[in-house]
Amino acid sequence: MKLRGYVFSRPFMNERVPQNIQNLVLRDFCNKNNFKYFLSATEYAMKDSHMILEKTINEIGNLDGIVMYSLRQLPEKKSYRYNLIEALIAKKKVIHFALENKYIDNLSNIELIDEIINIISIQNIQNNFIEKIANWHE
Amino acid sequence: MFLNEFEIKQSRIFFEKGYLISEIQEKESLKYISDFFVNATSSYSTNIKINENFLDTLNDIHNSINVEELNSFRLFIIDSMAKDKKFREHYYFLSKNLLDIVVGNELAMQNRVNLSIQMPNDDSSLLPIHADTWSGDSPFEAVVWMPLVDCYDTKSMYLLSPEHLSKITNFKSGDEKSNDLFEYVKDDVEWIKIDYGQVMIFNQSLPHGNIINTTSETRWSMNCRFKSLFSPYGDKGIGEFFEPITTKPMTKLGLNYNFPF
Repeated sequence: MKLRGYVFSRPFMNERVPQNIQNLVLRDFCNKNNFKYFLSATEYAMKDSHMILEKTINEIGNLDGIVMYSLRQLPEKKSYRYNLIEALIAKKKVIHFALENKYIDNLSNIELIDEIINIISIQNIQNNFIEKIANWHE
Repeated sequence: MFLNEFEIKQSRIFFEKGYLISEIQEKESLKYISDFFVNATSSYSTNIKINENFLDTLNDIHNSINVEELNSFRLFIIDSMAKDKKFREHYYFLSKNLLDIVVGNELAMQNRVNLSIQMPNDDSSLLPIHADTWSGDSPFEAVVWMPLVDCYDTKSMYLLSPEHLSKITNFKSGDEKSNDLFEYVKDDVEWIKIDYGQVMIFNQSLPHGNIINTTSETRWSMNCRFKSLFSPYGDKGIGEFFEPITTKPMTKLGLNYNFPF
């Protein structure tokens, strides 16, 4: 299976991982799974941008899919997220998430990924709230 | 608290001892997991002696596999566990009654179940005294620990009970005896006596570990972390380490809720 790498150049969902580490994880993931790794596309640093992901999906060509560092790099907005994934699935391609060792190859297995993203979003809101309370008590 | 008498009693024991042990009620899940280990072990090598008695096969594995080969054997079994799509589900079901009392019913489960194989006199598989929270785990996590053989004395793990926990705060004081934390508390730890067919849930915030197994049998045990889905996460996050397993309908609706206009 031939997969295009995809990494971030900005923090994502309160996480930041250097690009070289993201690429190391992708290479290791592909080696372990006998996938052929193709050089990563790097997302723009601008807030909420997924232009490079869109471009990668549009230009996927004869590759079998994308290997993304983490599912936390998917768009937070659900409708946009679905549009991108549906576009990829429509081309009969797959998207792997190396950190979580999960993948989406059809619309029925989006649900778990979606649930995890929603829980992370809620957790981040809760954490900010707890931080505010902690600061308030200081 | 709206807990029944049994739940109150079990909760009290958990607070006092730091763990609960229960007979596995889901016999089907126990059988699934036991059969899995017989099959995985026999498929590793034809040199392994498979006894009619499941416990004998595992207890005596050191007669078929030597310590040098242990790591590759263990990795083979762990890899097989990860590939088995039903394994984690059965692991959850055999501990569900304990999880319901100690953690909750809307849970996140560790993505991978861990396996320990500790052969007699092997010093290569030791876990020095630690609490999982000391290395980034959330204090909201509990560990479900299931032996595949009868465990006792050094063939088992030890746990520092809550009543002795305050002692280790003195460890930082520079006391000469405190060079080795285990030596410092070894008279206060409890060696868990637990048999095959039982399962334990324990508070991983309490110091625990093992030492060289000086019995004549090999210890096999599994461990896996569970937490309430919406409790705070530590260094091990949802997605990369934990996965939701029992999300309820109202939570699913809430997670996807949008105002109509």
